[in-house]
Amino acid sequence: MSGRFSAAVVGWRLALRLAAREARRARGRSLLTLVMIALPVTAVSIADTVYATAEVSGLEVVERRLGAAEARVDAADASGDAVVFQLPDPENGMGWGGGRGGEPLTLAEVEDLLGQRPVAPISEGSVRYTTALGSGDAEVLETSLDDPLTAGLVELTSGRWPTSTDEVVVNGYLLGREPGEQLELSRGISLEIVGTAESGSTTGRARAYGLPGAFDLGEPSSWLVGGDPVAWADVRDLNDLGGVVTSRAVLADPPPESALAPEVRYGQDLLDGPLVASLVLVVVMVLLEVVLLAGPAFAVGARRQSRTLALVAAAGGTPRQARRVVLASGVVLGMLAALLGLVLGVLGGAAAVPFAERITDQRFGPFDVQPWHLLGVAAFGLLSALLAAAVPAWLASRQDVVAVLAGRRGDAAPSRRSPLLGLALLGLGVAGAAYGASRGTAGGGEIPIAASAIVCVLGMILLVPAVVSAVARASRHLPLSLRLAARDAARHRTRTVPAVAAVAATVAGVVALGVAISSDEAENRESYTATLPEGTGLVVDYRRNPDYEQIEAALADVAPDLATQRLVGVDPEHGRYTEVSFRSAGSGAGDRPGEVVLSSWGGALDASVLVADEVPDVLVGLDQEQRAAADEVLSEGGALAFFGAGNGLGPDVGDGADSVREGVGRGAVVLRVRGPEGSRRVVEVPTFFVPVEGDYAPIQGVLSTRTAERLSAPVHDAGLVLAGPVSRAVEQDVSEVVQGMAGQRSSTYVERGYEPGAETVVVQLVLGSLGAVLMLGGTLTATFLALSDARPDLATLSAVGAAPRTRRGVAAAYALVVGLVGAVLGALVGAVPGVAITYPLTGPVDLGAGTPAGPSHYLDVPWLLVLGVVVGLPLLTAVLVGLTARSRLPLTARLD
Amino acid sequence: MSADLGTAALRLLDVHRVHGEGEAQVHALRGVTFAAHPGELVAVMGPSGSGKSTLLTIAGGLDEPSSGVVEVEGVDLTALDRSERARMRRTSVGYVFQGFNLIPALTAVENVALPRELDGVRASRARREAMQALEEVGIAALADRFPDDMSGGQQQRVAIARAVVGERRLVLADEPTGALDSETGEEILRLLRARCDAGAAGVLVTHEARHAAWADRVVFLRDGVVVDESGSAPVEDLLGAGRLG
Repeated sequence: MSGRFSAAVVGWRLALRLAAREARRARGRSLLTLVMIALPVTAVSIADTVYATAEVSGLEVVERRLGAAEARVDAADASGDAVVFQLPDPENGMGWGGGRGGEPLTLAEVEDLLGQRPVAPISEGSVRYTTALGSGDAEVLETSLDDPLTAGLVELTSGRWPTSTDEVVVNGYLLGREPGEQLELSRGISLEIVGTAESGSTTGRARAYGLPGAFDLGEPSSWLVGGDPVAWADVRDLNDLGGVVTSRAVLADPPPESALAPEVRYGQDLLDGPLVASLVLVVVMVLLEVVLLAGPAFAVGARRQSRTLALVAAAGGTPRQARRVVLASGVVLGMLAALLGLVLGVLGGAAAVPFAERITDQRFGPFDVQPWHLLGVAAFGLLSALLAAAVPAWLASRQDVVAVLAGRRGDAAPSRRSPLLGLALLGLGVAGAAYGASRGTAGGGEIPIAASAIVCVLGMILLVPAVVSAVARASRHLPLSLRLAARDAARHRTRTVPAVAAVAATVAGVVALGVAISSDEAENRESYTATLPEGTGLVVDYRRNPDYEQIEAALADVAPDLATQRLVGVDPEHGRYTEVSFRSAGSGAGDRPGEVVLSSWGGALDASVLVADEVPDVLVGLDQEQRAAADEVLSEGGALAFFGAGNGLGPDVGDGADSVREGVGRGAVVLRVRGPEGSRRVVEVPTFFVPVEGDYAPIQGVLSTRTAERLSAPVHDAGLVLAGPVSRAVEQDVSEVVQGMAGQRSSTYVERGYEPGAETVVVQLVLGSLGAVLMLGGTLTATFLALSDARPDLATLSAVGAAPRTRRGVAAAYALVVGLVGAVLGALVGAVPGVAITYPLTGPVDLGAGTPAGPSHYLDVPWLLVLGVVVGLPLLTAVLVGLTARSRLPLTARLD
Repeated sequence: MSADLGTAALRLLDVHRVHGEGEAQVHALRGVTFAAHPGELVAVMGPSGSGKSTLLTIAGGLDEPSSGVVEVEGVDLTALDRSERARMRRTSVGYVFQGFNLIPALTAVENVALPRELDGVRASRARREAMQALEEVGIAALADRFPDDMSGGQQQRVAIARAVVGERRLVLADEPTGALDSETGEEILRLLRARCDAGAAGVLVTHEARHAAWADRVVFLRDGVVVDESGSAPVEDLLGAGRLG
């Protein structure tokens, strides 16, 4: 055993020495490989370090949460009915169930359980403060800021602590208010700012701190407790009383999972199937990309070493030893790159933390490096180098020794089996994608499609040699530079194939994701239902007693030209709550109405049913004819109802009296008031039915005043219509004014039609640029390796009279062949998972009520992105290469 | 100097070539004057490092002299820029190298057609001319083979065909038989001789006396200087003089 081991060591020592020398000798190529492998290692290390630092875990910066206390106890909810289940750190997971049937947790109960200890009560809440135009919200905290237990909870950055309840300190976000100024709360309280302070984990929000009572938050429901450590058993006891506990001792030494309440144990299982699947997909694709990008350099290295390897073979070396020499260069460069990547990653992470803190408005914990993660990332780098060297090593061990020593090329013939295997894999991938697509939105389709993406790409890689050869054969009538490049690409397959495959894999990814994203976007666009006519605005005051008069008066100040009109609707908050439904007229007596005609509607108004004697202008979804007919029905005391054309009540379904069809028919309106004085009333009235797609309308319908009266419907103002067009500037002003009056319980909405999320464009741009970078990387590697290989050919070209620019042309042609072949292959292969994923992504969701309406899926190919990546990028790369390549042809002192 | 300089296909006049600077300075050529005329095959001989190959690269405009005049068919190469010199190589000068220097990615006929294609001639016409050149060197049957699939002698025939295609009248051959066995080498020289008899001017760099015997004249170089040029003196004598000198 030890003999074999030492033999292996000796074998590898020679191989490693040869590899290290070769790496030093071919500096440019080694550098290229180092960069290719070190870049992803660096990027992932930076991300991991920033994430680990951002993650505040265990005892890290525990003082921001506990001050100097041993634990913090929060009463879970005000009803007092809760039993709490929590993870050792409640921030990672907690929940509560009902059934305790007691009062909210009190300090007395806490002290009963934990014994007499030093305690600092804490109240938290939010207050509204006034600004020049309206108001803003601030998170506030009341506690004895000079209590030793609260030390570290809030850090004073300027001024002094409050000494009375009419003084506060504020955080940087509220600045503009200097110490000495007043903080005006909307409740009429005025507080003097005596200092600034920071705390908590977010910096992007207004905060203020004061002594107990300063903000009038009421009884405290949280306590910081000192004294002895609070053990997990105490935590569980407090949980049973409805307390959520953050204990320093428990954070430092979490209990085993078996000690957790069963209700929260499953929550630990964050790594579910789809997440693991997508993680595997990402890791495999990145690994593949790195291997393919680094592959050409190893292929060239192996060929440059072919004479050395032949000599090794002639001196009695086995094929395995020849393989080892090439693999050793993977080991040497892989280790160097991994090390380099780690060092750069940790340094880069340290440099990136302050930026990340600013961008996310989060306060991170102390600088944190996860050694095991980074070791894994480094191993990934080494593995990718080894894999990249594997194929060249295998080919090198099969070379024809005699031919190489005689100065000829000793390449083994290309495999005939691999294209067949590639086709088989592609077929398998297509089948997997089709299976995944056939699952539709039923779930479980995504994993086969993701797996099919990998299988398709692998199959494609095996096909690349055949495609490259075919392109070379077809190049007979191409111009000289392209012919030269295509033939050269085929001759040096080990160098060309990984580069083409890298480009193809990139393009496949870009195309697949691009199709998925724009199809998703297409679905959003197609299924968008406008709430209001274009440009019209709507202000809704959701408060218990809305005050539209006040709002109208204020709007007249900021936007005097804006015409407004109040909408009247059925008050949904009458009694405990009130609901109205439109139904088909019952087949029997008036009290047994038929089916509900609409299953979902919007909540833009403070009523789902309006009351009016003509169709309000703001109602969309009716054409002129329908509007005139509906006006007539309403003026005669009827009703208007939207009905879902696809919910089984449409023209084709139902019989006689029970069916609903477009136009005037008999409908039933049911009004139910819930609560102690509940009631249920039904009337049958002539109803104008308007079909809607997707069983959704902005509101349910309209009742005439007479029908509303017959139902004794509770009526209130449901919103204020702003006649359009409302400009964005006016919208902003209105929004601020309304916010200032009704705060969160208000909304200002102006219909602008479908507005694509900015993220779609951003994602497409990111995809495009990522594709561009990877494609440039792959193409440039292959091109410059090819050019350095082609030195003798270029010298010959020069000798027979090629003009200097011919070299540029040849360089551009190399880039074009690699880029174009890769891009076309990649686009074809990427379309498979891309189209397949649109079925689960954009198919209609089955809500369990019969066949869902709508098309089976939405498919939108982002042609601009695809064309840009498939045609534009290769051309751009070729032009770039042509411009940057040295135009001077090599001149060797001795031409042979 | 005895030759009529006016009708020379190639004329070098007091050509100097210095490589490097200072300590590392090497004088490859020191005042070489020499001419080759249509119909004439001139052998250039000399020991290693005597400047034979430098003379050939300068004659073909691949390299520039430090001083002196280089004329090909009456055109002063030193007055041309790089791309104009490239054009001269495409139209007037053909090279044949020891290592054949065919482009492996191109077939035999494509290699021969290369200078014509580079000159902008339509591909079909370039191919026709190349086929004709291949016929002249006797291997038209191998036109569609790649260099890797040909023997050394066949490759060198292709190289000669490439050097003469398109009516070029100056062929510069640098040890064209160095990588061939003696029988194949003789074949190649016979071919070269035939091209000169048909009106081309040939310059043959060689270090083998029996190859020089195919030449009309022998120019002997030593340390960058022409030590003798003779059309009549026995080659063996010249060689002997070189060694003694």
